[in-house]
Amino acid sequence: MLFNSYDYLLWFLPATLVGFFALGARPRLAQAWLTLASLVFYGWWDWRYLPLVLGSIGVNFAIALALQRRPSRPLLTAGIALNLGLLGVFKYADFFLANAARLSGGAPQMLHIVLPLGISFFTFTQIAYLVDVHRRRAQEPVFGNYALFVTFFPHLLAGPILHHSEMMPQFAERSNKRPQAANLASGLFLLAIGLVKKVLIADTFAPIADAGFGAAGTLSAPAAWIAVLAYTMQIYFDFSGYTDMALGAARMFNIRMPLNFDSPYRSIDIREFWHRWHITLSRFLREYLYIPLGGNRRGEARTATNLLATFVLGGLWHGAAWSFVVWGALHGVALVVCRLWARRGVPLPRPVAWAVTFLFVSIAWTFFRAASLDDAIAMLRAMAGLNGVAATATGSWLGGIATSLASSETFPRALALAPAVAGLLVVFLRANSNAMVARFRPTLANGVLVVLALPVCVLQLARVTPFLYFNF
Amino acid sequence: MSERPPPAFTPAQAAARWFAAVLGAAIAMLIAIGTFNWWVDPFQHFRMAERYPPRYYRLLHRFVVPGIVRNAPYDTLLTGSSIVENTRNSTIGTACGGTGLNAAMPGLAGYEQGLVLRTAFATHALKRAIVVVDFAGYNWAPEGRHPLSGPLPAYLYDANPFNDAPYLLSWGVLVKSWRIVRGDTSESFRTDADAPWWWADEKRFGRSEVVRGLDPLDLNRQFPQAPLKPDLMRRSFDHNLLPLMVAHPETEFDVVWPPYSIVVWGDYVQRHQLDASLAFKRYVQAATRDLPNARIVDLQPDAAVTHDLDNYTDLYHFSPAINEWMIGEACGDRHRIRSAADVDASERDIRAQAGAFDPAGLSPPR
Repeated sequence: MLFNSYDYLLWFLPATLVGFFALGARPRLAQAWLTLASLVFYGWWDWRYLPLVLGSIGVNFAIALALQRRPSRPLLTAGIALNLGLLGVFKYADFFLANAARLSGGAPQMLHIVLPLGISFFTFTQIAYLVDVHRRRAQEPVFGNYALFVTFFPHLLAGPILHHSEMMPQFAERSNKRPQAANLASGLFLLAIGLVKKVLIADTFAPIADAGFGAAGTLSAPAAWIAVLAYTMQIYFDFSGYTDMALGAARMFNIRMPLNFDSPYRSIDIREFWHRWHITLSRFLREYLYIPLGGNRRGEARTATNLLATFVLGGLWHGAAWSFVVWGALHGVALVVCRLWARRGVPLPRPVAWAVTFLFVSIAWTFFRAASLDDAIAMLRAMAGLNGVAATATGSWLGGIATSLASSETFPRALALAPAVAGLLVVFLRANSNAMVARFRPTLANGVLVVLALPVCVLQLARVTPFLYFNF
Repeated sequence: MSERPPPAFTPAQAAARWFAAVLGAAIAMLIAIGTFNWWVDPFQHFRMAERYPPRYYRLLHRFVVPGIVRNAPYDTLLTGSSIVENTRNSTIGTACGGTGLNAAMPGLAGYEQGLVLRTAFATHALKRAIVVVDFAGYNWAPEGRHPLSGPLPAYLYDANPFNDAPYLLSWGVLVKSWRIVRGDTSESFRTDADAPWWWADEKRFGRSEVVRGLDPLDLNRQFPQAPLKPDLMRRSFDHNLLPLMVAHPETEFDVVWPPYSIVVWGDYVQRHQLDASLAFKRYVQAATRDLPNARIVDLQPDAAVTHDLDNYTDLYHFSPAINEWMIGEACGDRHRIRSAADVDASERDIRAQAGAFDPAGLSPPR
């Protein structure tokens, strides 16, 4: 089930909230209800993957119990290997098989395993837990508590990636089983912000990016840049909107989850970017990969190697394709360059630093979005003007997108681009959702905004899209 | 100095009131919109249009067809791609005896054809189903569809009242409801319930139309079609059509091979697709030969029709007269394939015609 779906917004979230607080006087029952609801949330997509997530939870809980009794490096290694093995089978098997076949010159025998939703997130969450248990930083003797920590639906599919220590005390707190009006109100406010980001803004940029990346080989330079910048906005509003919805829903259950985005496109260097973008993933990679590899404690060369390794693996975590590896490697190299530049002690003027960072991040997204390395290179060639820079070609390309947008009646036509403009203002000028929710007050103005935003977003969830193959 | 009055509400009370008021107002708005869309029902999902002339929206077949398939009165259903859109419901009724409904969809995939039929069987006792089969429609995975068909609104095809929120709470539907209530006719639709999808009046039929823009050396260029994959076609047929024929012995199924122009067969020769297309026909005959309710009607070898390009507007799409003839032949029990020998004869005939066809003779206008 997705947050931006009728099922989630119209019945799942309300029913889960009502059930949770109705059972609030009996905390264990309330907790069991929340776990059950989270499993329904996960199984809604395909119930056949429930045994996978339950099996993963059961095995990790058993390993963690053993580690709690007696820390053991071999057991920890086995636990991590098991989790990575699961990820390897379900996410990377075909990638490895295809590359092995390419190396051997044989025909690839693909497994075509469907990727279970959220597997990267619940696997990383549990790896972190095992390491924390081994380091004596966490322990959880009750299976129900652990199962809720892993499955709690707001973070199950797309993070944030959580620490046990920041969640379990909140789940254990009895007062959190009673409705708290301030959290209900601010949670609803945050959920509405997230919904607007996802449904109104990200989904407005999406057709432009899709059209561009679908025809990268033929785009003029301006069109290619428009497509890449549209994707830059789409992915931010999509992911951060989804995260806001997650944080908002969790807050309604009196649970505060960690921030995951903090206006990343305002960063003035790539290090700052990774402190603002997908913050909990950066934290995971830093604590469980970069630092164990030696971090920055073993000289510049080793630091650079560690950074590169961390980001290449971080890239691969995002998807099983070479384009993700290249994306990760680009960020790794950029971080190394950033470190070297910082050592010179000559900072760039702030506007230049911002522009360089933003352009780098945008260009790197090309590898993230393109269907393959070849497509990414085709897009880069187009951006470089190798397909021409004709304004007329760009105009007709944009005209085609506008026609397509208008034909699907997603918005009143006059307002079709308003969300995109609003999005740009939010990214660069206005307070972000974290700041907005931090200073939230139950005022009439906020109420009017939410009352308008919720129905308008719900009305955009299903689109009446015409058959596009006009020539029959 | 006057003392400030105490706040009317504690912060918690204020937040509770805000939450209740905001949620209540948002829910009230959604209920109002859902009720309005339910009442107007622009896609006739809940009932056939009575409060206003029905609107059959151009290119929104996938949204309107399920409603009329569920709610219209009929006992004979015609399903096919854009090539059957120029068939009146009354023509079906006259030719086949009974009440007809044309449930055509452009770019119809085998999966969608099966879905339309399942929707019909869920609500109607069908006497007859005329199933016009396009090779391209079955050239997908069993549940695959043409990528340009747009998202399939599956919630409109079932009888589950609890999954209609995407219809009732959709901006696109709200716009259509509003236009209907206002009498706004600015968008493209037809109101003729007898010929909801008719487009023949907007096209010209004739040899000159067919050969316009046609490249004799690459006949596929005008309507690019993917190479046929016999395995996919068989799997799609087995998944989407065959089970319905088996499950509904009370319904007569006419599987119709439509009369494409000879140019299509010339294209198949050029692209080496003849074997794949004919193998699929052979497979369908073999798969249905033991089903007493299944009849195969093969109009493809009929040279009198397919060689006369004045019957067409392009390689594939024929005139309303040919549509009418096709339905008449299906319900009149003519052009039947009854045995493997008939398949052999049809195949020989098509191969001979295709082999003799010379694209160079098309002489497109310069």
